[in-house]
Amino acid sequence: MSRTDAVTRILFEAFGAAEVRLFYLLGYAAIAIFCYGVYVQIRKYRRGATLRLEGGLWARFGAMLSSVLSHRTVDRRDPAAGGAHRLIFYGFMLLFAGTATITLEYDILEPLFGIRFWYGRFYLVFSLVLDVAGVALIAGLVFMMYRRGWMRLPKLDYARPDRVPGDPDFNRPQYRREDWAFLWILLIIGVTGYVLEAARLVWLQGRADVWGTRWWSPVGALLAEGMRALGLGEHGGGLLRHGLWWFHGLIALILIALIPFTKVKHIFTSAASLMVRDPLASQRLPRVPDSQEQVGAAKITDFNWKQLLNLDACTKCGRCHEACPARAVGAPLSPRDVILSLREFAQATLESGVVPAAAELDIHGKAPGQVAMETLWSCRTCMACVEICPVAVEHVPIIVQMRRKLVEDGAMDPLLTKTLQTIHKTGNSFGESKRKRGAWSKALPFPVKDARKQPVDVLWFVGDYASFDPRNQKVSQVFASLLHEAGVDFGILYDGESNAGNDVRRVGEEGLYEVLATANVNALSSASFKSVVTTDPHSFNTIRNEYPDFGGKYEIEHYTTLAKRLFAEGRLRVTNPLKYRVTFHDPCHLGRFNKGYDAPRELLALLGCELVEMGRCKANSFCCGAGGGRIWVPDPVGSEKPAQNRMKEAAAIPGLEVYVVSCPKDLTMFEDALKTTGNEGKFVVKELIELIREAMPSRRTEEVPA
Amino acid sequence: MKILVAVKQVAALDEDFAIRDDGRDVDPDFLIRDLNEWDDFSLEEAVKIKEASGVPVEVIAVSVGPEEVDESLRKCLAKGADRALRVWDEAVRGSDPIAIARILAAVARREAPDLLFAGVQSSDQAFASTGIATAGLLGWPHAAVVANLRYTPGAKTAMFRRELEGGLLHEVEIQVPAVLTIQAGINTPRYASLRSIKQAAAKPIEVLGLTDLQLGSDAVGEAGSLSRVRRMYIPEKGRAQLIEGGPAEQALRLAAIIREFKGEAT
Repeated sequence: MSRTDAVTRILFEAFGAAEVRLFYLLGYAAIAIFCYGVYVQIRKYRRGATLRLEGGLWARFGAMLSSVLSHRTVDRRDPAAGGAHRLIFYGFMLLFAGTATITLEYDILEPLFGIRFWYGRFYLVFSLVLDVAGVALIAGLVFMMYRRGWMRLPKLDYARPDRVPGDPDFNRPQYRREDWAFLWILLIIGVTGYVLEAARLVWLQGRADVWGTRWWSPVGALLAEGMRALGLGEHGGGLLRHGLWWFHGLIALILIALIPFTKVKHIFTSAASLMVRDPLASQRLPRVPDSQEQVGAAKITDFNWKQLLNLDACTKCGRCHEACPARAVGAPLSPRDVILSLREFAQATLESGVVPAAAELDIHGKAPGQVAMETLWSCRTCMACVEICPVAVEHVPIIVQMRRKLVEDGAMDPLLTKTLQTIHKTGNSFGESKRKRGAWSKALPFPVKDARKQPVDVLWFVGDYASFDPRNQKVSQVFASLLHEAGVDFGILYDGESNAGNDVRRVGEEGLYEVLATANVNALSSASFKSVVTTDPHSFNTIRNEYPDFGGKYEIEHYTTLAKRLFAEGRLRVTNPLKYRVTFHDPCHLGRFNKGYDAPRELLALLGCELVEMGRCKANSFCCGAGGGRIWVPDPVGSEKPAQNRMKEAAAIPGLEVYVVSCPKDLTMFEDALKTTGNEGKFVVKELIELIREAMPSRRTEEVPA
Repeated sequence: MKILVAVKQVAALDEDFAIRDDGRDVDPDFLIRDLNEWDDFSLEEAVKIKEASGVPVEVIAVSVGPEEVDESLRKCLAKGADRALRVWDEAVRGSDPIAIARILAAVARREAPDLLFAGVQSSDQAFASTGIATAGLLGWPHAAVVANLRYTPGAKTAMFRRELEGGLLHEVEIQVPAVLTIQAGINTPRYASLRSIKQAAAKPIEVLGLTDLQLGSDAVGEAGSLSRVRRMYIPEKGRAQLIEGGPAEQALRLAAIIREFKGEAT
C-alpha cells in the first residue's frame, strides 16, 4: 500500500458485485431518462418554424463561452446574485468535471486501454480543488436561499400584472416550489458529499494511503476529525459511508434524470440561447418573406426554433420584469410572464408525441399559457427587457410578431387603426397634407435646400414629429439655423419624405412599414448626398438598421454626433457657457438601441452644464412611454404614465434646472408629464438643440426664427 | 346567397387646393382619394353576415369609376369581399346619381343578389340618392339609413332598425331582394392591413364596360343625367372678425360696432 498509485479515489470499495451492477443500472436509467428528455426538448424546438442563423458557429460559441465564463450578463444590475451564481456555477462545474474525469478513467480509459491517471499527486491536487469547489457551491446556494427566503426582492415575486388574484396562473406557486427544490437538492448533494467523504476517512483511517493524505480534502478531514471526536469508529464510519454513498449517488442520478424536465435545464438552454443571440435583436425586427402567406405569430409553432429555445432559457431572474416601463406603471405586461406563459404553452402542446390540431395551438387569448392582446399592446418596444436579459431572451421580437397577427385581425385600439390608416393615406401620423411636411422651414430667414432637386452634403431626414408637431417644429428651426451658421451644406426631402416607419413596424403593421420604407429608400436614392442626419432617434434607428434590408444603405448619424463634430472642428463655438444643473434622458432608440450614450453627454459638458445622472440612465434608461406606437394611443386614465414615473425620478434631483432630451417624442411626452406631475415651474424640459442655441447666441441674431 | 355592395372612391381636399380650369370641380391634383366612409360600414356589414352564415355567402363589391378606383376595390377585397367589379367607360364621366344608379341596377340584374348595400351617402358629393335610385330602377323594396340589421342568409325577409328624429326607432321587416343604405356606426369596420391589401392584389378585379351591361352610352354621362354641375366655387368669406385687446378695449369696440349698425354716428 505504499505505492503512490495506491493513493486514489475510493469508489466501489467494499461493494458487492450485485450492488455495483445495480448502481450502473440506475446510472444508465438516469442517463436514458436524461437523453429521452433532451430528445423531447429538441423535438419541441424543431416543431417551430425554420430559421437560418447568420454568423459562424465558432464565433457564436466563443461569444457564448465568454459570457458564461465571465458571468458578465448575470452580474448586471445584481452583482450579489451574479457573485453567488458564479460560486455555484464554478463549484458545480468543477465537481462535475471531477466526477466526469473519474468516469473517463474508470469506465473508459482504464478498461479499454489500461490508462490510469487518477492517482497520486494528480488525485490529491484534484481532491483539494474539488473540496474548495464544494465550499463555493454551498456558499453560493446558501446565499441564494437567503436571497429567495429573506430578501423579498420584488423581481422574484411571481405575481403577474396580467392576471388577478384567483386566476389559476396568478402567481404560479409551482415555480416557487421548483426553485426551492432545486436549491435544496444541490445543497443536499453538496453537503452529503462532504459527510460522505468524512465517513469514508473515518472508515479507512487505518489505511495510510487514505488517512495520511486526508488534509488534501480539508473540509472532509475536518468533518472526519469531528466525527471521531464524537466517537464514530471505523465500523460506524463504514456503515455511514455505505448508506450515504447510496443516498448521495441516487440524488445525483435523480438530478441528472430531471435536468431536461425542470429548471435545471437552463444549464443547457441558457447557454444555447446565448449562443444563438441575435446581436441586432433590438435594432432590427425580422422581415416577413413575400412568400409567407401568414403575417405574424398566431400559433406556438409560428415561432422559430430559436424563439422556442429562448422560452426555455428564461431563469425567471426578473431583471426584465424590473426594467419594464409598462410593468412599472401597472400595465398588464411583464416581459417575464409573456415568456413564461408561452413556455408553459409550448410545454403543454409541443412535448407530446403528436402535435395537436392548429386550433389548440392558438397563443392569443386569456387562457393559461396564452397572451392577452391587452398585454401585447402594453409594450413600448423600448427593449429594456431584451437589453438586460442575462440569457439573451429576445422578448420584443416575440411580442411584435404576435402583434402582427393582431394587426392582421384588426384587434387593436380604434385610435391606432385610425392612425395607421392616416399614415397610409397621407404618409404621416398627423393626417396633414404631404405638401406641408417642409412648411416649418418657411419661417426661417434662409431657404432650406430641396435635396430632391439639388445635391447636398448632409441630407436631413426630419421625421414626423419634428416636421408637424408645433413645439418640435421650433426645435427643427433652431437646428436648421445651427447647421446654417456652421456652414453645413444641408437639405431636406420636403414632401418626398414619409414617416420613417420605425414605430409602424414596432406596432406590428409590417405591410405598411414595407410601403413606408420602400418609399423613403426610393426618395433617398434619387437624392444626391454624402450622409444623412436626423434629430429623431426613431427614424435614425430604422434608417440605420432596417433600411439596409430594403436596399437602402446610408451613412446616418443622430444630430448629437454631428453637433459634437461641428464643435470639435470649431464650426460651432460656445460663447455663453450655461452652468445649468441638468439631467439627461437617454432616448431608447439612441441609447439602448444604438449605444449613443456619449455624444449627448459630451455636448452637455461642452456647453458648461453640470450633469446629474438619474438612477436609471444609459442602458437602463426608462422609456417615456411613447415607443411601439403607444404615442398614438392614450394611456388609461387614472393610471400613472411612464413619462410621469420618469418625471418623479428627475424631480428628486436637488436643484435640477433642465431635464434634457434629444428626441422629438420625448419632448412631447415629458413636457406633458412635467405639467401633470406638478413640476412645472420647478424645472424645464428642453431639447439639447435648444441648449446649444442658448450657449451660442447667434452670430447673426436676426437669423434666429421667432 | 349573394350580397352586392356598391362602393365609391371619394375625394378629400388636400391643403391649398385649386379649382379645375373649367370651374366645375377641384383640380384632381389636390385630391386625396379613399374609400367612402359609409361604404366601409356597408362592406363590413356584408362580410359580417357572410362570416356568421352557415351557408355560403358571396360578397361582391362594385364600383363605377376609372382604373384608380381599383385601389379602393382592393381594400374591399382585403377586408373580405370575394369578388370586385368595376364599371367604366369614358362616357360615364359627368353622370349624376341617377345615371350611376342606372349602371348599378344593370349590375344588380346581372348578379341577381339577395341584398344590395350602399352607403347612406358619399362624403364628397353627399347626394344620398344613388342607393335608393338603384332600388327605384330595379323595383325592389328599399330602406335608407339602416343602423342595425339582422338577416339570416336564405331567409325571405330581413329585419332592421332605423333611427328616427326624437330618439325614435323604426323596426322594419323587408322582403328580399332589397336595397338598404347603411348608416355609419352600424358596426366597427375592420382594419385592412397593408399586407392583406397586397395579397388582395392577386384577386382579379373584373372590369365591365357599358356593352357588358347592355347600356347605351346615352344612358350614362351627361346625356343620361337630368342634372349637371354648373360651377364649383369657394364662397366669399363671411364678415366675422375677432376683436382683440383687453376687456375694456373690446367692450368699447363692440359698442362702437353696435352704434355703427344702428346707424348712429361714431
